[in-house]
Amino acid sequence: MTHVIAIAQRELGSLFVSPVAYVVLTLWSVLAGTFFLSSLIGFDQQLAQASQYGAEAFLAQMNLNDNLIMPFYGSMWIVLLFLVPAVTMGLFANEKANGTDELLYTSPIRIWEIVAGKFLAGFAFVFLMTAIVAFFPGILFVYGEPEIGKTLTGLLGLLLVSFAYVAVGALASSLTKNQLIAFVLTMVALLVIGLMLPFIVEVGVGGDSGGSGIGIGPTVRYISTGPHFEALMTGVVDTVDLVYFAVVIAICGVMSKAALESVRWR
Amino acid sequence: MVAIEARNLSKRYGDFEAVSDLSFTIKRGEIVGFLGPNGAGKTTTMRMLTGFLPTTNGTAHIAGHEIFAEPLAARRAIGYLPETPPLYPEMTVLGYLGFVAKIKDVARSERKDAVDRAMLRCGLSEVRRRVIGDLSKGFRQRVGLAQAIVHDPPVLILDEPTVGLDPIQIREIRSLICDLAAPEQGEARHTVILSTHILNEVEAICQRIILINDGRKVLDQPLAEVVSGGHSLEEVFARVTSRDDLAGVQAGAAVEHADGGGANP
Repeated sequence: MTHVIAIAQRELGSLFVSPVAYVVLTLWSVLAGTFFLSSLIGFDQQLAQASQYGAEAFLAQMNLNDNLIMPFYGSMWIVLLFLVPAVTMGLFANEKANGTDELLYTSPIRIWEIVAGKFLAGFAFVFLMTAIVAFFPGILFVYGEPEIGKTLTGLLGLLLVSFAYVAVGALASSLTKNQLIAFVLTMVALLVIGLMLPFIVEVGVGGDSGGSGIGIGPTVRYISTGPHFEALMTGVVDTVDLVYFAVVIAICGVMSKAALESVRWR
Repeated sequence: MVAIEARNLSKRYGDFEAVSDLSFTIKRGEIVGFLGPNGAGKTTTMRMLTGFLPTTNGTAHIAGHEIFAEPLAARRAIGYLPETPPLYPEMTVLGYLGFVAKIKDVARSERKDAVDRAMLRCGLSEVRRRVIGDLSKGFRQRVGLAQAIVHDPPVLILDEPTVGLDPIQIREIRSLICDLAAPEQGEARHTVILSTHILNEVEAICQRIILINDGRKVLDQPLAEVVSGGHSLEEVFARVTSRDDLAGVQAGAAVEHADGGGANP
């Protein structure tokens, strides 16, 4: 464990002396503020319109969680697709470019410890990002009464999505020594599993396959992050969703390890 | 006692044989110069000894540990300075050496002393809080050396430790290497194998030379014997590595040679 923590600590330290960390955190905070404000204004307008037209049924259903916090989380999720690649692009690629991989591989540490350390560093960074997001719904608790459960499961969802994206980014970084390639590769992968797959399902590759639950539609839906995140946002903590994130992280971990090993055995 | 034992080390990249059937034994406390022209396979051999590259064939024991059966124990026994020092430019000297001490399994209670000692030996104490990227090339090379000795390993593998340094820095690094291998209280501590193609470096610090050419060992003798016949090391080097001398042997392999010659590992 000493090795894993040493690697993670060093990685975080290097991240925070590089401009990347600060650019990402600044953008993230500014966008979080912007999207929170726009969600707030949106909520206000909905409320005004509903009362103007006397839509009692709609008014009764409106609440801070579904009509403000959820859209806000949703916006931040889109931002993740573009910022996580910047966080993870250097994880392994930098070691290879610096020649420091030679130090790691000739030290008495195992490859899985290197991979775990890198993942841990990425997780810690996106944890900080999620904490920044948590601040905004926090404001609502001062002035209103949102449901705490849903607010927290939504945050958990955002955190787990970030973890999964870090894992994908780390895998991309393990495949190349060029940070730019890692960045682009990650962003493309995230756009595909985050946005394109659900879109394909919506447009109709084929809805449900005769109720059997197995078919291209449900499978594609299961692979993409969107539905799992949405389930958590609506307050449903289902093992299926948690397993999904664990599996994505595990697969990316195993593949990163294989990628690092294959470079040496070639 | 044997510090390094290499047995039939071979490394093939496709059709190109970078190192073939290389065997040698280095005793504890020896400083061995590992010589050969560029592309002879020196770096490849060192990378195999340190476990960075797997061998195509053959194996090695480092301080009694087989590199595949006990990789962690073998690596713990090695201090390795690669051709380009493996440095994180954004870290301070102190932070970097502390990190290396951790991943090299220096016990927590001994880490600070180990880092201080390595900095002292390599003359880094006054730049301890400087960022590595801002240091001169000579200092960076010293940080690389400090990294190799921070866990006080019995075996040091140094790949061109003085390349790119000015004459004074070269002298300092050399005397440091000699100090490391010098017996302490009558007991040999470090074993050093260093690659170079600067011949007077070998004459200055090595007791023995191993000369390889095209991945094969062509000479393995104490330095005193090599130069005893009144030949200079340079003459010996030129004779042993000249292609003409081997023309007869290699006539059949000429085509293969032409293919492989360009591919420096």
